[in-house]
Amino acid sequence: MSFLRLIAHRLRHLFRSPQSEAEMAEEMSYHLEQRAADYAADGLPADEAHFAAHRKFGNLASIQEQAREGRGWRWLENFRHDLQLGVRSLRKSPGFTLLAVITLALGIGANTSMFSVLNGVMLKPLPYANLPQLDRLYRATAQNSEGNISPADFREFQQIKDSYGDAAAYTPERVSLAEPGRPAEMAASARATANLFSLLGVQPQLGRDFRPGEDTPGRDRVVLLSQRTWQTRFAGSPEVIGRSVRIDGEPHVIIGVLPPSFNDWRFLGGVDFFRPLAFTPAQTSDRANPIIRLIARRAATVSPSDADRLVTTFGTRLAQEFPAVHAETHWRRVILQTVAAGPGAAQILPLLIGLSGFVLLIACSNLANLLLARTMTRAREFAVRAAVGASRVQLLRPLIAESLLLALGGGVLAILVAYWFRDWAAVRSTGENGEHVDFVVDWAVMTWAFAASLTTALAFGLAPALFALRLDLNQTLKSGGRGTTGGRGHQRFREILIVGQFALAMVLLAGAGLYIRGLDALNKRRAGWESRQLVTGMIALPTGTYVDVDKIASFHRLIEERLAALPGVESVSLSSFTPAFVWSEVRKFVVEGQDRPVAGREPAAVVNRVSPRYFDTYGTRVLSGRSFHERDTANSTRVYLINQAAARGLFGDQNPIGRRLAQADGDNLRWGEIVGVVTDVQPVVTDANPVAFQIYLPMAQEPKREFQLTVRAAAVAPAALVDGIRAAMTELDADLPVSRLQPADTTIYHASYQDRVLRDMLAYFGVLGLALASLGIYGVIARTVAQRTGEFAIRLALGASGRDIIRLVLRSGVRLALLGAGAGLLGATGVTRVLMAAYPSLPTDSALILTGTTLLLIAVALLACWLPARRAGKIDAIAALHAE
Amino acid sequence: MADKSELFPGTLDMLILRVLSRGELHGWGITNKLEQLSKSALQVDEGSLYPSLYRMEDKGWIEADWRMTENNRRAKYYRLTRAGRKQLEAEQAQWDRMSAIIALVLHSA
Repeated sequence: MSFLRLIAHRLRHLFRSPQSEAEMAEEMSYHLEQRAADYAADGLPADEAHFAAHRKFGNLASIQEQAREGRGWRWLENFRHDLQLGVRSLRKSPGFTLLAVITLALGIGANTSMFSVLNGVMLKPLPYANLPQLDRLYRATAQNSEGNISPADFREFQQIKDSYGDAAAYTPERVSLAEPGRPAEMAASARATANLFSLLGVQPQLGRDFRPGEDTPGRDRVVLLSQRTWQTRFAGSPEVIGRSVRIDGEPHVIIGVLPPSFNDWRFLGGVDFFRPLAFTPAQTSDRANPIIRLIARRAATVSPSDADRLVTTFGTRLAQEFPAVHAETHWRRVILQTVAAGPGAAQILPLLIGLSGFVLLIACSNLANLLLARTMTRAREFAVRAAVGASRVQLLRPLIAESLLLALGGGVLAILVAYWFRDWAAVRSTGENGEHVDFVVDWAVMTWAFAASLTTALAFGLAPALFALRLDLNQTLKSGGRGTTGGRGHQRFREILIVGQFALAMVLLAGAGLYIRGLDALNKRRAGWESRQLVTGMIALPTGTYVDVDKIASFHRLIEERLAALPGVESVSLSSFTPAFVWSEVRKFVVEGQDRPVAGREPAAVVNRVSPRYFDTYGTRVLSGRSFHERDTANSTRVYLINQAAARGLFGDQNPIGRRLAQADGDNLRWGEIVGVVTDVQPVVTDANPVAFQIYLPMAQEPKREFQLTVRAAAVAPAALVDGIRAAMTELDADLPVSRLQPADTTIYHASYQDRVLRDMLAYFGVLGLALASLGIYGVIARTVAQRTGEFAIRLALGASGRDIIRLVLRSGVRLALLGAGAGLLGATGVTRVLMAAYPSLPTDSALILTGTTLLLIAVALLACWLPARRAGKIDAIAALHAE
Repeated sequence: MADKSELFPGTLDMLILRVLSRGELHGWGITNKLEQLSKSALQVDEGSLYPSLYRMEDKGWIEADWRMTENNRRAKYYRLTRAGRKQLEAEQAQWDRMSAIIALVLHSA
């Protein structure tokens, strides 16, 4: 019999089909007839022959039952039967079923949603061929373990790349994109070596890839569009291939469109288009400016440890050969997939999964409580069935079936929750460039949902069932038929569940509260600066038009003059960074008159190049000395302003004004004079590696191509200035876009959108956990009240007031809540630690949060117990005692 | 009835397979053949043949078709599958080995 035929055979007999029953009867009656005919032939009368045949055959009914057992998937058939019973009994108590399924769905939905985040961020592989062989290589410094490399270092690495495998490089840039008849827009571009896409195993969906050699100056005027840009800017038209667009004022030809999979937000997904990475000879020999990001693909013959050795050796060699730039740095290799998730993900995601697990646990203990109560009311039924000989397994089977049904319902709804979450997250996490985080609900997520619901429903459904099986049969049968009495053991079990729920809710709420308050405080703080009257925007001057520093410097002056003349403008400043965000330019300094530290260990400071009115515009106070002024130019003495932390750290109690600093790049030190000290500023976002020292230099002395424009409004609302500023800028250079030209507070608000998604998720977890826990305590107290009606009636009859009874009930509820909150304090402290580690610069006020959370929990417990307590207080003593 | 023997548990399957190895038969036919081959010395409820048949059909050792008998009645004919043949060989070998061992022990002790 072939396998298929066997399966077909089993399926046919699976559900005891009438046909297979009829065939069995026919086959056996044929046998009986033949045997009877035999006997008749031996001379027995017909009826006796019939009986004799039956005797010889054995008990027909029992043999048929044995035959049924033998065929098909009998256990499956039994199971189907149990499921039918389960459906029937669940339908008889719709309230219970609804509550249980919703509880499960919420708990598992929260958990599954978090798993989909983990899946989307960390587990789902990046869409590249040879992913396990792809690495990011970093040049690590003391301040930045994921530092970029310079073009010269890249060229150096290319000489050894064959022993490694292959290497490609890219560097992000902001450029202006213009087409005839449309205003120029700022776009996120990246320059990439011609082999980047082939190294990643990505083929353009339209047109062609870069050709080898196109990454040389003069041949690099070609563009590969991302799928998103193709859709949003070019309406997905296939005719774009060969079309010319102006990028930074220079004509470029569109040669291809990347596939949709390349939009993966985790890696290069935010880039609008790519151009070949072409370096002029001067750039190629530049070792001081680390602007390149390096991706390497290990050859199949190179093991990870070989690769590590190669990279480390290479870094050591560089540090030895070029100590002026590379002292105290080393090279390291990180698997691309792990980098993609971004810093913090490895800490935050497990925390989120853990917290959603807490929601799930609270939901589960509710489920356990519900099922326990339900099993208790059926205790008598179980006792009777056990007394007439049902085995443990037979008793458990319908309960298992019920749990499975609940799990199924919960799982299906949980997936709906996950879908809903996905849509919510997609909307909430859409970035300014239209890129958004896509948490796909894929098979992994579905499996997670069903595995989670199955596990929880079985574990938390069977626990009470097993508990019920430990019943003393006699006791149950004798206890007057009231199945609800649940002894002290059950009561204790339920109380433990409630205490556990409140402990978990405490952890959840405290964790969410700490994070939310910290984030709010962070986003609202304007430490050392102010933003209310400001408009900010970003400008990147194209290299084609603004060929050298003089051009840039004179255009800077032009902007300042023109915008300052606009009505309603109080002041204008240009700077490389705004104080709202992290300053990413780190430089090392040596102090005149102090021993020079070992190369590479000089004090580091973040650097901001600013125009003279920067400090007025941002309201950052100059504490001593002077601010920059118009006479600080490229031709005058180099000057610095330093912040308080740098003044204290570098000069202690001495007056820093008039002292000299130089940047520590090589032996050729260019000294500058400290002319003033300003107050410390802090950003509104978390900073993984905060650098305390902040040093300012005049923009005019090192004009920057990409810069922030800040305009302070005099009396009007800053939003009212935006159009005037844009018009003035277009007048200055029609090809020059100003991106994110809007009130500073708007930009700040948008910038923290990802943090806010996290914040909202934590808030939902907290609320959900609290709601479920209060539902749990309500259920248990209500049940207790119902059980103790008789006792309360006696107390009332003996002279207790309704108020006394209410107090009694409330006390028992609050006791549980307090116990839980106490236990939860421990866990909450742990969560605080994790958050502090993940967000070192997050301001937190744990004492307040922990106290507040405890009070909230007690208040909610009081509220949840109030309803049953009031009912207890209104018991009609006489009626209740009669009912006994 | 003193000369009739009860079957060792589990051996009925082997006997049925053996009978079917000579060609296909319906249940009644198998009963007759068993009776004939054992010279009516086996003491079994005839009906217990059927659960055994169904179980083996389920395991894929035998398969069955409904056909007409020579006297034009519908009957279910069973025959051995390849798996069944293998099973029979295995069981027979096992049986031979066991009975040899038992005989050895009984006769030498």
